[in-house]
Amino acid sequence: MITLNEITIVRDGREIIYGYSEQIPAGSITVITGPNGSGKSTLLAAIAGDIAPDKGTITIDGLHPILTPPLALSKIRAMAKQNQFYSLGFSVREVIEMAGNADEILTVLALEHLADRAVTTLSAGEAQRVSIAQAIAQNTPVLILDEPFAAQDNENRKRIIDLLKKLAEDGVTVVVVAHSSEQELAWADKVIKQFL
Amino acid sequence: MKIAKINLIVINFLLLIFAGLIALSVGPTKIDGFFSQLIQPGSDEILWQIRFPRVIAAVIVGAALGVAGLMAQGASNNALAEPSILGTASGAALGAVGAILLGLAQVGSIAAIVSGVIGALLATTLTLKIASLRGNLSSFALIIVGIAVSATLTALVGLASVMITQPDARSISFWNFGSLALITYENLAGVIATTFIGILIAWKVAPNLNRLSLGDETAFHLGVNVSRTRWLALVALSLLAGGAVSTVGIIAFIGLAAPHIARFIYGPNHRALVIESALIGSLILVLADTLARTLSAPNELSIGLLTSLLGAPILVALVSFKNNVWRVQ
Repeated sequence: MITLNEITIVRDGREIIYGYSEQIPAGSITVITGPNGSGKSTLLAAIAGDIAPDKGTITIDGLHPILTPPLALSKIRAMAKQNQFYSLGFSVREVIEMAGNADEILTVLALEHLADRAVTTLSAGEAQRVSIAQAIAQNTPVLILDEPFAAQDNENRKRIIDLLKKLAEDGVTVVVVAHSSEQELAWADKVIKQFL
Repeated sequence: MKIAKINLIVINFLLLIFAGLIALSVGPTKIDGFFSQLIQPGSDEILWQIRFPRVIAAVIVGAALGVAGLMAQGASNNALAEPSILGTASGAALGAVGAILLGLAQVGSIAAIVSGVIGALLATTLTLKIASLRGNLSSFALIIVGIAVSATLTALVGLASVMITQPDARSISFWNFGSLALITYENLAGVIATTFIGILIAWKVAPNLNRLSLGDETAFHLGVNVSRTRWLALVALSLLAGGAVSTVGIIAFIGLAAPHIARFIYGPNHRALVIESALIGSLILVLADTLARTLSAPNELSIGLLTSLLGAPILVALVSFKNNVWRVQ
């Protein structure tokens, strides 16, 4: 369970999120939608422990991400950010193995044929899938994905959604930011459209 | 580590031994019965008292500078970082020269090395702090600030070195371009210690530098304590560069070239690169020092000229032929 309690986040003197509360149940898929600049990615960063809310509290199963040491935090939440950039030519397999076992996730996300390719040579969509695969390989009870469908074709989009449903059935709490209409988000347990 | 990569390391090691034997055998004075003298330690004074410590110094300092460059690049996630550009080398020189000027140390002494390491750490920290004043540590800011800090400290080294009156003090040329000419067995102990400890820390921190290459945020998501990792890498960098510079002066380019050459041959894994950057750094410096003292014998060329001449074309070739070794955003 992720609990957001009256959180306010200020960036460059502007209140991006103000007094927002929410409860995200364990084993569910929650999608956050909204216009650009509405603070979706900021909210994900706060849940992931990258930034601290200026007011209010965030807890994951009772733990405060911002107060939890990095290694302990990496055992309870994983995150794939939007536009992951790879500077060094590690292979796809090596990048995923920095988080955990690569074999199964390479198959599920159709990355097997790219396993030995340098990540610096991948297309945007392939690099995004590697980033998602790495987060899933971390094998945490909470999975946070920022715009995972942005550079995906329909086939890979369906592949990712099926995987997220399977993970949620297995008890993983999935939080996703996506630019999609409500009809396209029927697969989600909960859609948060406005949290300002 | 895959068998092919281990084989390449063995080949590099054999090349280093071969280069070391050539370095020991050539020079203004011909050594009669070179190989028989080689198996009798202490038999020939020139071989054992002059050339041998010098070749060992080249191996140790080359390894230290190679791994120092790897730590600089890994900690800053910047392909252009190296001890000379970050101000580490000039900070080390200023630390050592300052201690000698104040009468606290002699060239090559443990006290000079400690002062050099402290100078290196302070200068590198200063560069990183100024470069990240606006938030994120951008490549552009790091290089510009590093050049400014380095130039300032180099000028101070020049001023300080002309004020030194001790008879065994080194010249501005020594501190700015480096030399292995005056190395003795006594000088080696300190730099061997700093290199050993520095490489151990580099080995320890290497897996987290792999994750840091994905960016600070992703590394944090994977459980890396980013500031601690960066700090440890900077301590390793300062020990390695500080120990080397305070013993033989500033030798540029090895810290930049060795890790890139190693990365091109072996790939980006930092733990393997610790070994490979050390071997390639040693190989470049042994070859450069041999050329420096033989090309215009009995005069010696500046070793910095030779390391640049050997390393720069290799680096240009690497950048030209393969661009997925290090991609810039």
